[in-house]
Amino acid sequence: MSYSKQDLKDLYDGKLPWPKIKEIMSRPKDDDRFEKYVEILQERLPWKEKILLPIGEHLYIVQKGAERIVKCDCGHEFGDYRRNWKLAALVFVRDTKETLEEIYPGTKCPWPELCEVREFYCPGCGAMLKVESVPVGYPIIFDFLPNLDAFYREWLGKPLPTSQEPRDMSNEVTMAWRAKHT
Amino acid sequence: MTKRKGLGDGGKTLKQMLEENRRLLKETGCYAGITKPHALKDDPIKAELFHSRIMSSLIAGRETCKQVSGSPYVREVAELCMGLYTPEGDNVVQSTGIQVHVRLMGDNITWMIENNYEEDVGIHDGDLFLANDPVIAGVHAADCYDLLPVFWEGELVAWVCTVIMEMDIGAVSPGCMPCTAVERAGDGMKFDCEKIGTNDKIRRDFEIRIEIGLDLADLFLLDRKGAVAANIRIREDMKDMIREFGLDYFKKALKELIEEERRSQIARIKQRTIPGRYRDIVPFEIYMSEAPASWLPARKDSIRLIPMQMDILPEGRMVLDFDGIGEWGWHAYNPTPKALWGGLSICVVQTLSYDGRANLGSLLPCDIKTPPVDSLFNPSQIKKLATGNPWPAMIDVFSLWCGMLGTSFYMRGFREETFNYVSGSGWQLAGYDQFGNKRPMLAGGPGTFGAGATGVCDGVDTGGWVATPETDVGNWEVWELFMPEMYMSRMLSLYSVGYGRYRSGLSMPTMDMLHRLTVGITSGALGAAHDRIIPNIGLFGGYPGGKRNSFLIRYHDFQDTVNKRLPLVHEIGHPKEFLNYPYADIKYFNHMPPCMEVLDKDVFVCDNSSAGGLGDPIERDPALQKADLDSGLTNEEISRNMYCIAVNYDEKTREWKVDEEGTKKLRAAKRKERLSRGVPVEEYWQKARQRLLEKKLDPLLIEGYRSSMKLSEGFTRDYKDFWALPNDFGF
Repeated sequence: MSYSKQDLKDLYDGKLPWPKIKEIMSRPKDDDRFEKYVEILQERLPWKEKILLPIGEHLYIVQKGAERIVKCDCGHEFGDYRRNWKLAALVFVRDTKETLEEIYPGTKCPWPELCEVREFYCPGCGAMLKVESVPVGYPIIFDFLPNLDAFYREWLGKPLPTSQEPRDMSNEVTMAWRAKHT
Repeated sequence: MTKRKGLGDGGKTLKQMLEENRRLLKETGCYAGITKPHALKDDPIKAELFHSRIMSSLIAGRETCKQVSGSPYVREVAELCMGLYTPEGDNVVQSTGIQVHVRLMGDNITWMIENNYEEDVGIHDGDLFLANDPVIAGVHAADCYDLLPVFWEGELVAWVCTVIMEMDIGAVSPGCMPCTAVERAGDGMKFDCEKIGTNDKIRRDFEIRIEIGLDLADLFLLDRKGAVAANIRIREDMKDMIREFGLDYFKKALKELIEEERRSQIARIKQRTIPGRYRDIVPFEIYMSEAPASWLPARKDSIRLIPMQMDILPEGRMVLDFDGIGEWGWHAYNPTPKALWGGLSICVVQTLSYDGRANLGSLLPCDIKTPPVDSLFNPSQIKKLATGNPWPAMIDVFSLWCGMLGTSFYMRGFREETFNYVSGSGWQLAGYDQFGNKRPMLAGGPGTFGAGATGVCDGVDTGGWVATPETDVGNWEVWELFMPEMYMSRMLSLYSVGYGRYRSGLSMPTMDMLHRLTVGITSGALGAAHDRIIPNIGLFGGYPGGKRNSFLIRYHDFQDTVNKRLPLVHEIGHPKEFLNYPYADIKYFNHMPPCMEVLDKDVFVCDNSSAGGLGDPIERDPALQKADLDSGLTNEEISRNMYCIAVNYDEKTREWKVDEEGTKKLRAAKRKERLSRGVPVEEYWQKARQRLLEKKLDPLLIEGYRSSMKLSEGFTRDYKDFWALPNDFGF
């Protein structure tokens, strides 16, 4: 089972009518999807670092020298993928009725004393990368920490040249902030 | 002929078979120790025929049940499903219908075996068992499981099970899924794998108990008869299959179907997802301070945090962990660890195992870590608690789980499979209906939520209900016959949407006017954990749908309003203006309205919102927005403010036109605004940390964090680490 790159491009670009999308959904899945997906995305990027994993609409984990970093398609770099990229983003927090009502007017507005809506932007291009709606005081969520080596080695059968332990290193960032501010 | 020692294979007892099955799974990692399945592979055509014969028998049984039952829950909402199980209680095939109970029905069989039913109660050909107690296995008491053993020449070779959701279970008013039950006694009737009949016939004394104990006894008994008829039909089909395929093949094939599906599920996980750690948070808002509870400790408001983590492991397994979840409470919303499998079952079938082969094997590669003792998901006092409606937290948890899995599909390139859903809450009612009968009333049509956006197109309008598609718009006319209500509105709400490059579907608020009700009370019908905190279901820069609401409209003088030909309320309209209707009081309620009296011509409004959008809204294709504008699915205000798309209405051609230059300017300005409004996260972190140090949080949240920290050292450590709080910090 396989699709042409053009079929997949049309799928990703929203050019396929619903019946065709449904057909793709109902059929057995194509085993080479990931490789073609990455090829399509890589061709569209203005920079050359190899995509290891697309992790959102604009974000990619890429191989940069010996490092694996998160990078926006605009070129902005967020650092090691094992540190929550959100910590290196810009954030606008909607925590007042006034700012929440810009999105959720009137009765659709959550209660600011209980709920805050965090918008994370790319400092390079201003793209909104993630909207996080959480109880006030909840830590910024590290949505996803991949096990890249297991993925490439055990699932794709194409081990990466070097390996890294998929260890959450986000606390190093907040500890550094603490040292700076106290 | 010598007497059999046990009912099972080769004279083994069912308990011996169960223990052996578990041992083999543990030792080999394969279901029933089947390391080299061959019975199905040796003859694929025969195997396909075998599976499809079982499936068609189950579906035919389901149709049989629908014809016998008179309940709109069976006929209109399709809250029923049939399954075939091994003698040990492992699901092999299930029919179409609600896919929650794959494992739970089998858990009841397993429980019977573990509790020595084979000797103490007796399991015979034609015995009818009934179960609905979540303390054993289940989600809520309204889901009744009818269980029937299949015998062949004295050997128990399988079980047939049917689940039906009942409208009346004898619970405290308003009944069915009572939010007012805070102790077990309020839940209504419980059947703990009770033998309710023999020789294929329901016992008369059981019927008498139902006739006296339930307001809707006729429907309950008709459902039992429907379930028993279906089960018998399926049982006889299975006997025909044994005659045709042979007993040996029948037994081997049942087991291999499970092992085959286990392997397929691992293959799907490896083919479609990315291994790693996924995290999210579900807050559960519980507002009970005004609840008319006889057990007074129940009367309190609280928020419970449910942090969730899914690890997809390199071996293709998925592990769910709820460490950090807060404590249980005196309310009807405490699920058991087993009940969580119900939530996972339905979502696994909707997202991964949708090829008709779903069975226990679909769940074997999954694991749910036992939640902390005395948490919301694992109360040690469960036998004393109400379990009338543990759905809200589970529904929100598995909504976010679908989002996690959708994220994984997206990263792997299967953007078309990205999906999430949201649930909502409504009203339930008890009182004297239009026929003068006092009874509980819960309409089954609130499933009108907009589905989450996919990675390749907008979400489906009113298509987001994950349980059964039958409720997506709902056949309201049937409910008008069954309930003392008239439906006043069928309008999509433009403001329900989760905005994004692809938007969620639109939701359809419901407005039910009580009509010919005499004496009535109402309370919430809870289908979601969230109310004032919107769930975290936007993907990659898409917003979650907005806040959900319940309203009660009471006309100042309904007849006078009609006589004067003044407008009645028919739609939500703009959310800033809805409450300003001059001819009635419109009162807002959270998702847990207290029990209150209602009057004829009062109107219930459920204004639930949609699931999440996907991607940055200002990257939405203007052509999609124009199509929405021309279809009346959005307006100029939303186009400008949310998507930064400038549009004008052309009076001559009577269509919307996109101002491309204006759109470019709006979008450039929005990016500029973000870059100036947004601050480095470090700055936000410092400010938020200071707020925590000063404990300037709403008391409900302080209590919620305290509750989670009480049960979990891991959560406490992670929380303090993230905010770099001192070791002695506590709420």
